[in-house]
Amino acid sequence: MWSLLRFVSFRHVFQSPLRSLLTLVGVAVGVATLVGIAAINRSVMDAFRSTIDTVAGKADLTVAAETSGFSEDLLETVRATPGVLHAAGGLSVVAPVNNSPGESLYIMGVDLLDDGYFRTYEGAGETNVGKLADDLEFLNSTDRILVSERFARAKNLGVGGIIELQTHEGARPFVIHGLLKETGPLKAFGGSVGVMFFGSLQEAFGKGRTLTRIDVAIDQQVGLEAMKERLQKAVGASIEVDSPDKRGSAVTTMVRSFQLGLNLGSGVALLVGVFLVYNTVSISVVQRRREIGTLRALGATRRRIRVLFALEAAVFGLLGSLLGMPLGVLVGKAAIGSVANSVSEIYVRVNINDVKLGSSELILGLTLGVLGSVFAALRPAWIASGVQPVEALRKDAAIGAGAVEVKAWPTWVGLGLLIFAWPVAQIPPPLENFPAFGYTAIFFILMGITLLSPIVLRWLNVPFQRPGELLFGISGRLAADNFARAPVRTAVPVSALSIGVTMAVTVGAFIGSFQASADKWIEQAIPADLFVTSSARLAGTQNQPMKAEVEAELLAAGNGNIEALNPVRLMAHDVLGLRVFVISLDSSIHEKLGSTMILEGKIPTPEERAKGYVTVSENFSRRRDLKVGSTFVMKTPTGEHTYTVGTIIIDYTSDQGSVILDRSIFKEQFKTDQVDTFHVYLKDKSKLEETRNAITAKLGKQYDLYVLSNDELRQEAKKLVGGAFAITYAMETVAVALALLGIINTLLAAVLDRTREIGLLRAVGADRGHVLKLFTGEAFFIGLTGSLFGVATGGVVGFIVTNIVGVQATGWNFPYAYPWMTAVQMILIGTVSAIIAGLYPARRAARLDVVEALAYE
Amino acid sequence: MSNANANAMIEVSNVVKVYKRGKTEVRALNGVSLSVPRGQFLSVMGSSGSGKSTMLNLLGALDVPTSGTLRIDGKEISRFPDDELSRFRRDRLGFIFQFFNLLPTLTAVENVILPELLAGKSRELLEPKAIALLEQFGLKGRGAHRPDELSGGEMQRVAVARALLSEPALLLADEPTGNLDSKTGSEVLRLIREATRARQLTVVMVTHDPKAAEVGDRLVRLADGNIIGDDAVQAAA
Ligand SMILES: Nc1ncnc2c1ncn2[C@@H]1O[C@H](COP(=O)(O)OP(=O)(O)O)[C@@H](O)[C@H]1O
Ligand SMILES: [Mg+2]
Repeated sequence: MWSLLRFVSFRHVFQSPLRSLLTLVGVAVGVATLVGIAAINRSVMDAFRSTIDTVAGKADLTVAAETSGFSEDLLETVRATPGVLHAAGGLSVVAPVNNSPGESLYIMGVDLLDDGYFRTYEGAGETNVGKLADDLEFLNSTDRILVSERFARAKNLGVGGIIELQTHEGARPFVIHGLLKETGPLKAFGGSVGVMFFGSLQEAFGKGRTLTRIDVAIDQQVGLEAMKERLQKAVGASIEVDSPDKRGSAVTTMVRSFQLGLNLGSGVALLVGVFLVYNTVSISVVQRRREIGTLRALGATRRRIRVLFALEAAVFGLLGSLLGMPLGVLVGKAAIGSVANSVSEIYVRVNINDVKLGSSELILGLTLGVLGSVFAALRPAWIASGVQPVEALRKDAAIGAGAVEVKAWPTWVGLGLLIFAWPVAQIPPPLENFPAFGYTAIFFILMGITLLSPIVLRWLNVPFQRPGELLFGISGRLAADNFARAPVRTAVPVSALSIGVTMAVTVGAFIGSFQASADKWIEQAIPADLFVTSSARLAGTQNQPMKAEVEAELLAAGNGNIEALNPVRLMAHDVLGLRVFVISLDSSIHEKLGSTMILEGKIPTPEERAKGYVTVSENFSRRRDLKVGSTFVMKTPTGEHTYTVGTIIIDYTSDQGSVILDRSIFKEQFKTDQVDTFHVYLKDKSKLEETRNAITAKLGKQYDLYVLSNDELRQEAKKLVGGAFAITYAMETVAVALALLGIINTLLAAVLDRTREIGLLRAVGADRGHVLKLFTGEAFFIGLTGSLFGVATGGVVGFIVTNIVGVQATGWNFPYAYPWMTAVQMILIGTVSAIIAGLYPARRAARLDVVEALAYE
Repeated sequence: MSNANANAMIEVSNVVKVYKRGKTEVRALNGVSLSVPRGQFLSVMGSSGSGKSTMLNLLGALDVPTSGTLRIDGKEISRFPDDELSRFRRDRLGFIFQFFNLLPTLTAVENVILPELLAGKSRELLEPKAIALLEQFGLKGRGAHRPDELSGGEMQRVAVARALLSEPALLLADEPTGNLDSKTGSEVLRLIREATRARQLTVVMVTHDPKAAEVGDRLVRLADGNIIGDDAVQAAA
């Protein structure tokens, strides 16, 4: 076998070096995308995990209320629980670094003496951690902080240096009291970590006397389960007691929905890569019929021929994958920034500085690269093994045989797949946030279209003839003919392109529908004139909550033009296993000035609110199957409370869901009056800029305020939605680029097949321009058809994604809008780039020597 | 130069064509001179590899000679750039090859008007002309057929029609009957002969078949790139 491979296959590779290279590049790009995305996914997950793990340290059990916190008195309760050997309490905040947009410091507030039991802090340079427990300057001041060496170095600061951080009271200077080595918990958040005495941290960030976490070491004799029960009883139901590795599952679920989009995208890239291999192997089988016939005549068995082609593909797959690995690192590095950003903006703060390929990605890339290539070669190899020994003698064996015939079964299978796609899409997801059947349905549609495309291509011959002739003269007419002549071969780049375009239109449809709905929601439900937020343009995961007193300061700063101010808190909180936003606002202002978009029920009256009636978002109700009148339980710092769903509304604050509480009730139950964003309604809207400037001038610097107008907020929301999908644009580009390689590949084969015809055309008077137009014309039809398939398929897939997959992943069901702009753009891009891809094979055809072309057989 | 020369359709002098393949050089034509007056039907014979096709390619403006001059219809074409050669072929020449004469996706009529379409003329004007010509050649009602629906003889007739439609100055045929049985072959030959005579067309036809060669007015024999015989053909009894 090896000698066959060496003498027969490799010779062929060198005979058509360009096609081999294109295929290699195709596999490499597919694998690179896959590997890069896998690496990004893992880096994102690792960033969470390492934060959770490094922060958890050696604790057996953790008592935690991460988002809402609990009274520090609970530490004594825990310590007093029998079987607790050691307990250390702490809290953490994420503080935006002043004048450094987007950057923040994760600060852990701990008692170093207690905490040292669970986590190791190592001083760097002069800093001696052992002495800090008695260091009164460190313990008694509210502005002393230890930071990681890395952070200090990045800021060019040493011990005694000052950094400004945003607190609830605005920007405050903090003194670097010492430096810590980047070990243990300091590794979390990419090293952007600081440590303060917990009392100081509480004071500095207005956290009252609350903690978010108590780590516990237990008497192993009592056993983990028993201790868990004991502690749970001691601290009450409102606080989670769990082993550290169980923590963070809400976050994990949350990130899963994000990663699925990426995985789908990289899957598409690989799929298109597989198409390209299929294309190449098919072409090579057709062109080597005579050689195969000879081999068969010499006694090679069918099986041997099959294995030969499969092996060839495997070698391509292997080389392509190896080439794709380093490329994957580049892909990962290039994309990680934008991924980290959108994860941070939408879900949880992450700091990811680097992407590394681990062995799992390498194995994944190699396996899928090789298996995908072999899989792609199966059908052509099967066809090759059907070549009869007598074909060795046929002179015309090379001319397009095999690619011309359209078999019936692919059409039927294709139709079947299309028909089944819809019912399959309806099957409920097997896992939360994992719309597996929706994705299966999409795969069915893509494959169905692919299988149907040969027959459609054939049909398209006639409708394309007239426009072809009008556009490019007789060359265009012939291009339309040639386009439909080897439909099985031409279908490959058409399908590949259509998949790329489908993806673009799908994403465009989803984003567009989402943006339109979100826009309408902001316009109607929160028609405030200005939105005031500290440290970030939008309230959510990146801003610093402000103290309640800022309200009065804003009113004063507004120079009498402020009609009403609604202090809004957006607190991420784990409810029913989802990290939703608990939104608190002044209901009376909200209802009076905005018009809530109610889907079901009616807005609770003050009396009902007092009895626990709340408003929940559409997506929360759908994801947790809540109806009007359903009850659910939330853990709060004041214990577990039961709430009744009074009304279900449209709310796009979080894709995990929102629970809306009146501010008075929230303050009472959650023991905090901090505000994430102020909705400002003006008396004289024409003086918007004046008022905004007045607020910025008076308070902007102190609180690092961002004051957005309604328009700007809507723009921001649009950007946020778009940004979350930014990476998919890159993947669409990859898919389209691979499709273009497929076009080059296919047309190069067509040039070979039709050399004799080119000679004839030239003899009867076609000049080089005619031949150039003949092949660019064919490329044009391939591009046009692929794009048209894509915009049609994209409409359907977009519908499924918006109404099924998206609903399963987010719980939101917004009205579907077809993205006309994207569709037109994609048709233009697809067609023009196809023509450009066609230029190279066309030039090769145009430069053929007439006499040699005529003599070609 | 004599008057006869100025009047000639083809004036070839000292034409050499050398093919280089790697290190080896093949002299396909070895200093050939030839003059063909207007309206003459010239047959070219010779064994395989003697340079017949090479000569036809040069006369057909498909290729340029390595040295020597080549005057067709009063135009010195041996130094023409590619585009001018194409235009020259389109406007002045007609071709008939041994096989694969027609584009498989075009109908017979479309194949016939192909050179004119390439010249940018409009289909509507050409089609009636082509249909009439095909009818004249015994292909009534076959105009809408594609090559794979035509017999070998019919395909060659379509090729003849294509070669004649644009009223060329010179018709070049490379073994036009080589792929046909003898009966069909002689029918096609007769068609070529009659149609070209009626139009007073100059013809150069390469053939293997001595009987086919007799159709012409004159027979030139080639061997190893040299002309070794040049005789008038006795009119068949
Ligand atoms: N494109 C080419 N490259 C190299 N040699 C060629 C080429 N075309 C023809 N020849 C050589 O030139 C000689 C004459 O060929 P050709 O004119 O085709 O002969 P004929 O048509 O009489 O059989 C032959 O030896 C042939 O091998
Ligand atoms: Mg020959």
